[in-house]
Amino acid sequence: MKVTSRSFTITGALAMSAIVLAGCAAPASEPGTGGSGPEEPQFEGSLTVWVDSDRAGVLEDVAAAFEDERGVSVELITKEFGAIRDDFITQAPTGNGPDIIVGAHDWLGKLVQNGVVAPLELGDAAADFQQVAVTAMSYEGQTYGLPYSVENIALVRNVDIAPEAPATFDDLIAAGQAAVAEGAAEYPFLVGLDPAAADPYHLYPLQASFGAPVFEITADGTYDPTTLALGNEGGEAFAVKLREWGQAGILNTNISGDIAREEFVAGKSGYFLTGPWNIPAISEGGINYAIDPIPSAGGETATPFVGVQGFFISSESENQLAANEFLVNYIGTDEVQTALYEVGGRAPALLSAFEAAQSDADVAAFGAVGAEGVPMPNVPAMDVVWSDWGSTEVAIINGQGDPVELWRAMVESIQSKITG
Amino acid sequence: MTNPFNTQQGAEIGERLNPLVAGSGATDRSRAPRTVQIADGRVLPTRRRRSFPRWFADTGWRHLIGVVMLVFASFPLLYVLSASLNPTGTLVGSNELFRVIDFSNYIELFQRPQQPYAAWFLNSLVIGLVTAAGTVFLGALAAYAFSRLRFTGRRVGLLTLLLVQMFPQLLGVVAIFLLMSGIGEIFPQVGLGTQSGLILVYLGGALGVNTYLMYGFFNTIPVSIDEAAKLDGASHAQIFFGIVLRLVAPILAVVGLLSFIGTFSEFVIASIMLTDPQTQTLAVGLFQFVSQETSRNWAIFSAGAVLAAIPVMALFLYLQKYIIGGLTAGSVK
Amino acid sequence: MSNTIPGAQQPLLAPPPAQLSGPRTATRSHAQTVRGLLIKIALLGVVNAIAVFAMFILVMRESWLIFAIAAVVTVIINVIYLRPGWLPAKYLAPGVFFLAVFQIFVVGYSGYIAFTNYGDGHNSTKESAIESIIANSLTRVPDSPTYRLTVVEQFGTFGFLVTDPDGQALLGTPDQPLEEVDAEEDSTGKAVSVGGWTSLGFGDLLANQGVVIDLSVPLSDDPNDGALRTPDGSSAYVYTSDLVYDEASDSFIDTTGGEVYVDGGDGAFVNDAGRELQPGWKIDVGFENFQRAFTNDDIRGPLLSVTLWTFAFAILSVASTFVLGLFLAIVFNAPHMRGKKIYRVIMVLPYAFPGFLSALVFLGLFNQQFGFFNQVLLGGASIPWLTDPWLAKFSILFVNLWLGFPYMFLICTGALQSIPEELSEAATVDGAKPFAVFRLIKFPLLLVSVAPLLISSFAFNFNNFNLIYMLTGGGPRDIEAGVDAGATDILITLVYKVAFGEGTGRDYGLASAFAILIFLIVATVSIVSFRQTKALEELN
Repeated sequence: MKVTSRSFTITGALAMSAIVLAGCAAPASEPGTGGSGPEEPQFEGSLTVWVDSDRAGVLEDVAAAFEDERGVSVELITKEFGAIRDDFITQAPTGNGPDIIVGAHDWLGKLVQNGVVAPLELGDAAADFQQVAVTAMSYEGQTYGLPYSVENIALVRNVDIAPEAPATFDDLIAAGQAAVAEGAAEYPFLVGLDPAAADPYHLYPLQASFGAPVFEITADGTYDPTTLALGNEGGEAFAVKLREWGQAGILNTNISGDIAREEFVAGKSGYFLTGPWNIPAISEGGINYAIDPIPSAGGETATPFVGVQGFFISSESENQLAANEFLVNYIGTDEVQTALYEVGGRAPALLSAFEAAQSDADVAAFGAVGAEGVPMPNVPAMDVVWSDWGSTEVAIINGQGDPVELWRAMVESIQSKITG
Repeated sequence: MTNPFNTQQGAEIGERLNPLVAGSGATDRSRAPRTVQIADGRVLPTRRRRSFPRWFADTGWRHLIGVVMLVFASFPLLYVLSASLNPTGTLVGSNELFRVIDFSNYIELFQRPQQPYAAWFLNSLVIGLVTAAGTVFLGALAAYAFSRLRFTGRRVGLLTLLLVQMFPQLLGVVAIFLLMSGIGEIFPQVGLGTQSGLILVYLGGALGVNTYLMYGFFNTIPVSIDEAAKLDGASHAQIFFGIVLRLVAPILAVVGLLSFIGTFSEFVIASIMLTDPQTQTLAVGLFQFVSQETSRNWAIFSAGAVLAAIPVMALFLYLQKYIIGGLTAGSVK
Repeated sequence: MSNTIPGAQQPLLAPPPAQLSGPRTATRSHAQTVRGLLIKIALLGVVNAIAVFAMFILVMRESWLIFAIAAVVTVIINVIYLRPGWLPAKYLAPGVFFLAVFQIFVVGYSGYIAFTNYGDGHNSTKESAIESIIANSLTRVPDSPTYRLTVVEQFGTFGFLVTDPDGQALLGTPDQPLEEVDAEEDSTGKAVSVGGWTSLGFGDLLANQGVVIDLSVPLSDDPNDGALRTPDGSSAYVYTSDLVYDEASDSFIDTTGGEVYVDGGDGAFVNDAGRELQPGWKIDVGFENFQRAFTNDDIRGPLLSVTLWTFAFAILSVASTFVLGLFLAIVFNAPHMRGKKIYRVIMVLPYAFPGFLSALVFLGLFNQQFGFFNQVLLGGASIPWLTDPWLAKFSILFVNLWLGFPYMFLICTGALQSIPEELSEAATVDGAKPFAVFRLIKFPLLLVSVAPLLISSFAFNFNNFNLIYMLTGGGPRDIEAGVDAGATDILITLVYKVAFGEGTGRDYGLASAFAILIFLIVATVSIVSFRQTKALEELN
């Protein structure tokens, strides 16, 4: 029985300490204890932050600094990036979720729809960030997150095969096909597509150059998720072009992202529509490359989607003030934004850090293209849009049916799903 | 037990008729070369050099199938191996396998402070082995009860075990999170974020389809063995732990292996339960290398997956002697 | 002592262990009983200590329902192990305990969700929905200045001591709009303290952050001027809100247009025009989800073809993996074969790699233009493995065979060990052909122990969402048909598309309702096929 009583003591001691801890933490949120007065500042809580493993290293240093200077410990929890959004939505309402999460701006609509994210007032600091980043972190007129990076795709050109930047997409096709005819290249143009879902994200700049964004943009610069703009004349013109490019072999749904990268790195094409994430492989592969604006196919500017990453505060957090302080005054600093840029290779959202990063020619070039871009829509309805959009593009590229009719059917289907 | 035959042919038949004599492939090696003394005193090896057609008809075709299956089973995985040896490897970008052979991915795997691969490896081993042992124990207890004892609710119970695990658990993750955060408030040692808590959740699945596998095997052990022991004054616990468990060793090994593999590769629950990189398992940790489309590192991920397959294979190699030789070994000793 | 009575359920077996045949001394048996008893008492003591401790905490937390459950379970466990007899319970209790806590609860929870509107937009309680709506509707007045702030406290009341852009110090509380005061300023001109009030440092702010964040100090008596709030305790901004919550009528009033949003009974505040405020909250909806499940056109249209394919996929997957696994188990069950250990280990390989990794590799192998199958094996053919409706079905089955045969191989290898060789060998000696021996003797015996696993495997594949999702996403989809279902969609992937891909987003309530319906199908099939096997028959 000795064993029994000892294990009971251990269990008891551990659990008692848990009760004591819980007892300390809980009243902090109750107004009643406010009267205890300022004489005895006893803050026992800590900030829980969900980060992906790439970001965790940088945040460790910031967290240590925050604890030293502000007396609040920061607990970093490493989660797989893709799981953060959904886990956060399900766990925040239980009261056991984190105080802060790292995330992408296009999650925002979902987070607001589920009431799990708290507004974040950047105050005067808002002007220190790239405008597109702050806009992306806003939803229905309210700002919710602290941005840390901005990224977008651009046209990467193999200078040895294609010495000149093309002015239009038709020029690109002509030059690309000429290179193939000469035997200098195997593919006129490369972009990673999925055999089942194409890639509306990568093809969007071309579509936008026909004047067909996803949603109508309202006067205040945000999307109106109830009105699709996909289906306008520009959209249909784009659909016709998709078919043409598909038949000419400019677009090929068998070329996945991995294959496209591999073939470009092997020097088999002059043009590759991609983002900064593939630059390390391209430069390691010894390709002499340049980064150009995406040439217009439909006459208007080919604006890519801009993706913004940042940090959000939970609406259920008991430590909103500490969380706010941590984000605005610690993550929002030049140092941290630069450190995050160095670890992830994504251009910083903070202007001063972004300027400093311009010394890297690649960042500057992608940044210049992104300056033309619009944030990827962050409305919850996007989930519905992507799937129909992609499978329709596949069908058009592969020559099934009439492009315009398919496009119209897609718009109808998306519209009916959005309105439920 | 004496062998009633003394000719070579007789010995072979005897072997085949009586597994106690024949043993099995796994125990063959430990034995001294078998010889048979024939009437005139000469000693002949039992296995004569046979003609090729006979060899092929008996064993050779099995090798042929073995080689075919070897290709079938391992071919797709060569892509993974190839990617793991190429610093800029993609999983399927090219059909030129092993263009580059470079072990830097394997080295880098152990040099990332944010992704402590060695810790993951150890965690997975410990969690997998403990869960497998627990599953075998709980499952064997239940299988014994279902096989040997008659009670009301037995049929319903058996059916329930099967049906419970058929329910599509779309929301299992949410439920487990709620449950474990509740349990953690009372017993923080097994709450969210703890490996012991994760093991408990896994043990929730101990009774299930594996119990059937054991149940079926228990049924083939004659009840007369139990009864004889009972006559000798053994208690039911002594019969179970001392006799029956040893007789069913092959199936315990199979269930243990299945449970280990299942735990080793389980991702969803582990990712909810374990959040500190130092406590995470291989399945959870490795996935971080490829979870973000823009920063996928197939090369390192592949290296990690290749190494992760080793424990599974090692355990199977180790357990084979119990699986194959278990029945006879258990009853002879 | 005979154990050689032949019978279908009780096959021949070697003589029992030698130790049993010898006489056993009473003392040894007695000693073992005492030791067993001690172990039992010790274990029970540990269990009880843990249980009492848990109950103690539950009392402290006043969780009476869980306390009652814990108490009853503890008593039951003690009765089971202290009372003589009840042998089945003694053996089943540990496993059943874990099963009940970690599986039944999860199933019960999923079942319960089917009767709620849980999902995107209905994620939490009404209280937190109201809080969120209030917080989200507070917007900073455009181009309004920043007030530098010191939070002050007097007798438990918190106030704002702010410095307006002109350098004037102002003091206010939630009940008392801002008024000019004489305050002490620091070197930058920021008011830092005022007589009678205590200034809060950062530590004090943190200790009271729940209150400080909610402080709202009106600029003037006119509420339309807005109020000062602080996100960080050191600066304050002017906020106005378009939406005001009226507790008495439980409604939100839009101050700009005068529209009223009331609790419409569907878990959201809604105005006359039907516009809902986000977020809503979770409510019970009874059988509404089931009604929607039965009337959903996107399910009903392709239902027949999808159901047929689901059954075909599940049955063919089980059949192919079982046949191959069993075949290999028999082939490598040869005592004299060299190297079979290596073959066996290699064949477990597909099982030892992460499934999604293998699926991705196959995705590449099947690529129409660059894949290994077309480019290398078939010399540059252009076979649409994954994009032709029938070939995609075949490809899915092929990959599932690759993924699944090691499992069947393992369980068949294990189950074969229970079949005594002498049974079939004796028959062989009698002149029966090997295949006939297998079919008539081994196979029926084997089936008794693996049939339940085949049924379970059928159920698993019936809901094998991951494979389909990873490989084809349900496609290829006949885009012109206008139906969302693809050629390889099974019921669960179709449900996923409908419940998670339309309208407001993920609808867990509807998904759970579908899950229950699918479960009923699978359970019925399983029970019926179970009856066909001898697995449940009384033995001996």
